[in-house]
Amino acid sequence: MSVAEIAPALPRRRKVRVWTVLRWMLAFFIALIAILPVWWMVNVVFSNPGEPVSINPRLYPTSFQDGIDKIYMIFTETDYLHAYLISLLYALFTIAGVLLFGSMAAFEFALFDFPARRILFAIIMLSLMVPAAVTIIPTYLLTAQLGWLNTMQGLVVPGLASAFGFFLLVQFMRSIPRDMIEAARLDGASHFQIYWHVVLPLSRNALITLAILTFMQTWGNYMWPLIVAPSPHMYTVGQVVGLFNSPYSHQTVDVVMTANLLAAVPPLIFFLIFQRRIVEGIAMSGTKG
Amino acid sequence: MAFLDINSVTKTFGPVQVLEDVNLSIERGEFVVFVGPSGCGKSTLLRMISGLEEVTAGTIAIEGEVLNDVEPAQRGAAMVFQSYALYPHMTTAQNMSFGLRMARKAKSFIRARIDEAAGILRLEALLDRRPGQLSGGQKQRVAIGRAIVREPRVFLFDEPLSNLDAELRVRMRAELMDLHRRLGTTMIYVTHDQVEAMTLADKMVVMHAGKVQQAGRPLTLYDDPDNRFVAGFVGSPTMNFIPAKVAGADASTVRLSAIGGTAEGALAFAGFDSAVATVEIGVRPEHMRVLADGESTDAPVVLDADVVLVEELGDVTYVHLHLPDGTRLIARAERGLDSHEGRMRVVPDMKRALLFGPDGARLRPAAWTAAA
Repeated sequence: MSVAEIAPALPRRRKVRVWTVLRWMLAFFIALIAILPVWWMVNVVFSNPGEPVSINPRLYPTSFQDGIDKIYMIFTETDYLHAYLISLLYALFTIAGVLLFGSMAAFEFALFDFPARRILFAIIMLSLMVPAAVTIIPTYLLTAQLGWLNTMQGLVVPGLASAFGFFLLVQFMRSIPRDMIEAARLDGASHFQIYWHVVLPLSRNALITLAILTFMQTWGNYMWPLIVAPSPHMYTVGQVVGLFNSPYSHQTVDVVMTANLLAAVPPLIFFLIFQRRIVEGIAMSGTKG
Repeated sequence: MAFLDINSVTKTFGPVQVLEDVNLSIERGEFVVFVGPSGCGKSTLLRMISGLEEVTAGTIAIEGEVLNDVEPAQRGAAMVFQSYALYPHMTTAQNMSFGLRMARKAKSFIRARIDEAAGILRLEALLDRRPGQLSGGQKQRVAIGRAIVREPRVFLFDEPLSNLDAELRVRMRAELMDLHRRLGTTMIYVTHDQVEAMTLADKMVVMHAGKVQQAGRPLTLYDDPDNRFVAGFVGSPTMNFIPAKVAGADASTVRLSAIGGTAEGALAFAGFDSAVATVEIGVRPEHMRVLADGESTDAPVVLDADVVLVEELGDVTYVHLHLPDGTRLIARAERGLDSHEGRMRVVPDMKRALLFGPDGARLRPAAWTAAA
C-alpha cells in the first residue's frame, strides 16, 4: 500500500476557528472571575498586613509566616474551632438524615406503586419551586414552639426533608431493574431488606453525590443558623465569619480575610476531592445543586 | 390431583384481560414449556405461579395447597429471569446465598449448598467474581445456581436464554435438559421460540390471546394440533394453509374445489359436517412433494404454483410458492432442484393433510374422534 493510499485515512489537522477561540476566551474570563476573589483572599492572608492594599499592591503572597500567625491567632483567641465543630456536626447530622429519609422515600416512590403516588410526588416537586424566604418564618415558629431554638436539632431537623435530594434519588432508583427487586422478593427479602441489601448498595453513587451536595449546602448555610441558633455557643462557621465582617468589627481586613479563608477551606478541599462526582451529580439530577 | 394445578385462572390489568379461564395440570418432575407469541400471557401466568402477580380469579395450587395468598418466597418456587437479575454489587457466592442469608440459615449450611450448586453448574472458579466480570452464559448459570440453592419445589424460567447468542443458546439448552434430568425437579419454562419449546418440553403449552390453545407432548401438538393457531405456531417452517370450498361430502370422503384457487380433489374424511362450506387444508412443508418437469402423477390434488423464492440450506431446500389465489406455500424439496423460477407443480400428501373450519378449529373425522 502506497503512502498516497494511506494519506486520506490519516486524521486531518483540526482547523482553529474564530468561534473556538472566542469560546476559550469566554471560558478563561469566567474562570478568572471565579478564581480571583479566592486568590485575593489567599494573597491578603499570606502577606504582611496592609501590603496587598497599599499604594504598591502585590497580586501574590509575600509572607507565609504572617498567614500562619493569623490562623493561629484566630484559632486560639476566638471560638472558631468550636464553630468548626458545630458546623461539622450540623453538616454530618443533616447528611445522615437527608440520605436516610430521602432514600427511604425515593425507594417507595421510584419502585412501588401506591395510591396518590403521582400527586404526592408533584406536591414534593412543587415545594422545590417555593423560595426559602417564604417558608423560613413558619419553620422558625414551629421550631421555636418545639423549644428547639439554640439546639442542634433545631438546626438539623427542618433540613432533613430535602425535596432536591429526594428527586435526585428517585431519578436514580428508577433506573434499577424491576427484575432485581422481584428476584429479592422471591429470595425472601422483606420490604426493608430489599431497601437495605439491594437498593441502597445499588444507589451508592447517587448517595455519595447527595452527601457531597448536602455538605456544600449545609456548610454554606448562613440564614437558617443565624435565625434559629443566635446564641454564641451554637455559632456555626458562617455566623462567626459574619461577626468578623460586621460593620462594627474592629478586625483589620487581613484578619477578616483569614476567617473567610478558614471557612472556605473545607468545601474547597471537598470540591477538589469529589469534583467529578459533584459534576456527575448535578448532571444526573438535571438541576442546580 | 396433579402436582401443580391451575384452575380457572383469570388475570386482568385494569380493563385489559390478559388471561382467561386457564386450566392446567402439571405433574411432579415434568418439564413444562409455555410458548406463544408476545403478549399471549405466558409470562404473566409464570409470574402468577411465582407470586409476583396476583391472581384475579381462580386458584393456583402446589401439592394441594392453594397459593393465591402465599408470599412469593414461601411458595417453594425459584425463578430465573430473562435479565438474570443478579445483584451487581455481590459476588457469585453472595448472589447465590442471598435467599439463604435472608432466611438466616447457618453459615456452614449456606456454604455446603453453594458448593453443591457450584459443583453442578461448574461455577467453582467464579464464586468470588461479580456479575460484571462474567460472560452471558456464566451469568445465566449463576442465576440458575441462585435458584438451585433454595432447593425449590418448582423452577420457573422466564425466557432465560433470550439474551444469549445462538450457539450459546443451544449449549445452555442442553445444559438445562441435563440439569432437569439430574435434579428431577418440576420446571416451568417460558419462551416465544417454538424450537426451544419442542426440544425442552415434556409438556408443551401453546398459548394465544390469554388462552391455552393446547397442551401436550411436543410431537402430539406437531402431528395433531387442535386448531389452526397451534398448527401454524408449532413447526418451522410453518404449516401451509390452503383455502378450499366444500363441493360435497359423503360418509367417508369430502370433495373439495377451488383448492388454492383452481385445483380440485377429494380427501378421505368420515362424517364430514355438510354445514361447513369452506375449509383450510393444513399441510406441512415436508408433506408437499415437488414434481419434476414432465413427471406424471395420479395424486388426487396437484397444485400449479409460481415460484417466489428458493432457499437452499444445504441439507434441505425450501421452495416458496404462490398459488393462483395468492396463497403462499412452502414446500420442502431435494437438493439440486432445477426449476428455480417460473411455475412448478406440487402435490400435497392428502393422507397427512389436516382440515380446519372457518373459525380455525380443527375438523376431525368422526371415527377418528371416537378412537381418540
